[in-house]
Amino acid sequence: MYLNQLKIACRNIFKHKISSIVNMFGLAIGLASFILILLYVVDELSYDKQHKNADSIYRLVSISDFEGVGEESASAPFPVAPTLMNEYPGMIERVVRIFNFQAPRSLIQLNDKVYNERKLFFADSNFFQMFDYNFIYGDPQIALNEAFAVVITHETALKYFGSENPMGKVFRYEGNFDLKVTGVIENIPSTSHFTWDFMASMSSVKTMFRGKLPETWVWNPCWTYIQLKQDVKQAQLETAFPEFVKKFYYDATKASIRLYLQKLTDIHLFSHLDYEIEPNGNNSYVRILSTIAIFLLIIATINFMNLSTATSGSRTTEIGMKKVIGAEKWQLVIQFLGEALIISFLALVLAILMVEIGLPYFNVLANKQLDLYLFLDPFWFVILILIGIVTGLLSGLYPAFYLSSFQPLRVLKGHFRGSFRSGMARKVLVVIQFTISIGLIISTLTAFDQLHFLRNANLGFNKDAVVFVQVTRNPIIQRFESFKNELLANPDIKAVTSVDDIFGVAHNTHEFRPEGVPEDEWQFYPALVVDHDFVKTFDIQIVAGRDYDRNNKTDAANAMLINEAMVKYMGWGSNENALGKKFKSLGGEERVIGVFKDFNATSLHTAASPFVLNIKEDDRARFFFLKFVAIRIAGNDDKKTLAFIEKTFNQFAPGRPFEYSFLSDELNKQYIEETRLSRFSLGLTILIIFVAGLGLFGLVSYMIAQRNREICIRLTVGAGIKDMFVLFAKEYLWLIVLSNLIAWPVSWIILHRWLENFAYHINLNIGYFVIAALVSVMMTLCIILWRTISAIRSNPLKALRWE
Amino acid sequence: MIKAEKLTKIFRTDEVETTALNAVSFEIKEGEFVAIMGPSGCGKSTLLNILGLLDNPTSGTYTFLDHEVSKSNERQRANLRKHNIGFVFQNFNLIDELTVFENVELPLIYLNMANRERRERVNEVLEQMQIAHRAKHFPLQLSGGQQQRVAVARAVIAMPSLILADEPTGNLDSAHGEEVMNLLNELNISGTTIIMVTHSQRDAEYSRRVIRLFDGQIINENIKKSII
Repeated sequence: MYLNQLKIACRNIFKHKISSIVNMFGLAIGLASFILILLYVVDELSYDKQHKNADSIYRLVSISDFEGVGEESASAPFPVAPTLMNEYPGMIERVVRIFNFQAPRSLIQLNDKVYNERKLFFADSNFFQMFDYNFIYGDPQIALNEAFAVVITHETALKYFGSENPMGKVFRYEGNFDLKVTGVIENIPSTSHFTWDFMASMSSVKTMFRGKLPETWVWNPCWTYIQLKQDVKQAQLETAFPEFVKKFYYDATKASIRLYLQKLTDIHLFSHLDYEIEPNGNNSYVRILSTIAIFLLIIATINFMNLSTATSGSRTTEIGMKKVIGAEKWQLVIQFLGEALIISFLALVLAILMVEIGLPYFNVLANKQLDLYLFLDPFWFVILILIGIVTGLLSGLYPAFYLSSFQPLRVLKGHFRGSFRSGMARKVLVVIQFTISIGLIISTLTAFDQLHFLRNANLGFNKDAVVFVQVTRNPIIQRFESFKNELLANPDIKAVTSVDDIFGVAHNTHEFRPEGVPEDEWQFYPALVVDHDFVKTFDIQIVAGRDYDRNNKTDAANAMLINEAMVKYMGWGSNENALGKKFKSLGGEERVIGVFKDFNATSLHTAASPFVLNIKEDDRARFFFLKFVAIRIAGNDDKKTLAFIEKTFNQFAPGRPFEYSFLSDELNKQYIEETRLSRFSLGLTILIIFVAGLGLFGLVSYMIAQRNREICIRLTVGAGIKDMFVLFAKEYLWLIVLSNLIAWPVSWIILHRWLENFAYHINLNIGYFVIAALVSVMMTLCIILWRTISAIRSNPLKALRWE
Repeated sequence: MIKAEKLTKIFRTDEVETTALNAVSFEIKEGEFVAIMGPSGCGKSTLLNILGLLDNPTSGTYTFLDHEVSKSNERQRANLRKHNIGFVFQNFNLIDELTVFENVELPLIYLNMANRERRERVNEVLEQMQIAHRAKHFPLQLSGGQQQRVAVARAVIAMPSLILADEPTGNLDSAHGEEVMNLLNELNISGTTIIMVTHSQRDAEYSRRVIRLFDGQIINENIKKSII
């Protein structure tokens, strides 16, 4: 019986070429997109699961909230980890701190090779007991036991040593210390919330800090990981945290600090804190992409349902006769489901081919290294087969029940006509398809507009033509004035300053005590350590008071600039009232000399908050804090200007690697997730429109084929292309109008909610709704016109004779 | 074999009620060859559909092989059909996507007959119907007469005790029509009961009994003495 059904299925596939191709191709596109997004989602969900203790490892994070100002920090002070271990030995298996001097780059030398390394960290000696890495050389148990020991990755080993065994070799770190290679690990999987090239021992830091690790409970530069003992729950330790904070944190801060644990495997998708080691992914974007991929598959299955029921007229004899000779309904249901499964599996094979071809491009877009090997794993292979089965069943279930319910007597007597119910169902399905397509067109256009807005919004400073040069612990900082003057001698360089973070991307918080606040109540405000000409370099508007003045000797020691949000936060009434107000800082007493217009010191996901600009007088503090030189250039000949900057840099810091970036590029990196999401959704939306169009093409083709006789009669009595086009357009156009009417309000509500996630966002543009309507209507009309003209081109008399 | 008592079939639409059969009663014994005749719209096909268990009567009783089937459901009727009844239609109703062999084989598949046995049986019947040389062809590659022979082969393949034929020669020229009637006659001689709806007096001559219908009622039952 099954062989017979298989034969009929195959012959039907060949006989109805248009619907078979539409079905198979549509399903293949749907499945290919689904598989690609599945690979992406599986990858996103697999972060940090390679560590065997992943389920019991947590990161300690802290929220400092000073009446609405403060930070949510991914890192903690140095003493927190050992103190936790001492206090709760029954709950904690081990703690590990990771530290990098908050330096974006570390200078590494090996003979004549000098590099600014971005991924150099220091970790406690038990780092490799908590986290699992595959060692090529060395012993994970002891690799970080000694001071100045360093473990490197295979890639780093190749970069510095080629095929030589690097064990025991020595790197020069920051020109002062020697780091000895005690281990080499295989490259770190990309599915890690942070990756590193060098992991040195924490005891090295101790030596660098002259025998003692920092004991302050304010400075929080250590990413602190806690492995709980077996059977200890996250909540158990978290319950102890308030008491812990009360016991150990300073009186000034303890009331405002809250600690909690973050599951290691949740960090990548759910953590968006201050001081993350690397930017993380975004769970909601993963959800959005999965939803769009499912929509695409649904649209493809709807094509299948529509075409199967629309073309059922050609199978009435088969169905009727089988029933007459005794086939029962369930046998026919199984047959039609079998056919749907065959098409679905053929589509799956085609989809896998499409994925194989498309993966390299997708990987570039997604910045991942995904491959199809995932499906060699028995679990995922079964999932892949299940996807094929579910798609086949989804596509085939309605047609199977519809076709098998034909009354044999009626169909064999030629009384078959598509029932009103099935015609109605097809129309409902077309409306669903187009509602989704229209909604996605509107969403994609809005997402692109929002992204464009984020990139081009007025941030309160001029981001164009500003070059950042990396100078962490660089001698240039010690001779900064000479360096700056040398640069300014070039007319293509307009202003030069230095800062501790890339402005607009990241910043730290610093402790202050405003006038009138009790002695023990320090507050932490977002702040940047800057230098003279900061305001000039970034075109920031001073709205009250003045900028720093080099000629004013007291400015460096005790002058600060605050923003308007800070004035509002402090309740000082007007900007002018703020002038002369005093703040205590760790450096002494500071005085507000100017108020500047609010700017966005981080991404536009969050609103501008109180902010402080501070300059440092002490040379040691300047050397520690100032990590970048910011140079505003004229923009006449960037290449020439950059060559000049590099030449000057090399004069002042010979042998140091020159590294620069444009501020606008750095700012755009903050929206990398949004950029990726927009590109993905654009691609998927184009595919969805294509698949929905393909389905409509199939339906219109069959409608015209069924009405061939009518077309011929109308033509022979004098109807023209226009008359026929209007006749057919009326059948479908109202469905598209209805789809628009449904899609518009739904999209409006969803997009309104999405935009509210951004502190700064565009207003929904009605134009995008109109564009979506036009695209859907024009596509429908084009398809109908095309098929009408094709039908009319055939000789009407010939068609009549066939009838 | 068949006992119909006061069989009535009424078709209702929103506005019109049409009585296709009006209290028809008759009996047909095993081995009979009965022709049902009458003008268009007299209820011949409706009667055949009820006798073939493709439709239920509105009222009356219908006993087929000692089963009262007038109220049975589709599943029960399908089961009785596949074991006991073969159908021959005016327009053949062959499945275009299947070859001659596969079309004929179909009823045996639904009877769950083993593959080998099935093949033997199909080949035997195709030989008997003199259509074996066309086994691998598709219906559209055959002449009308050949198609109807395939349809007859399909009707007899499961060795039903009853064959219902609805205008079996209606779409055939006289030579092919005669061929098909001879086939039916041979089947009857070998013991199969045949009920045939026809307009053709010539075809009706092959039967042993003629039931004449007019406006849904039997107006005449004519038992013939001679066998053609």
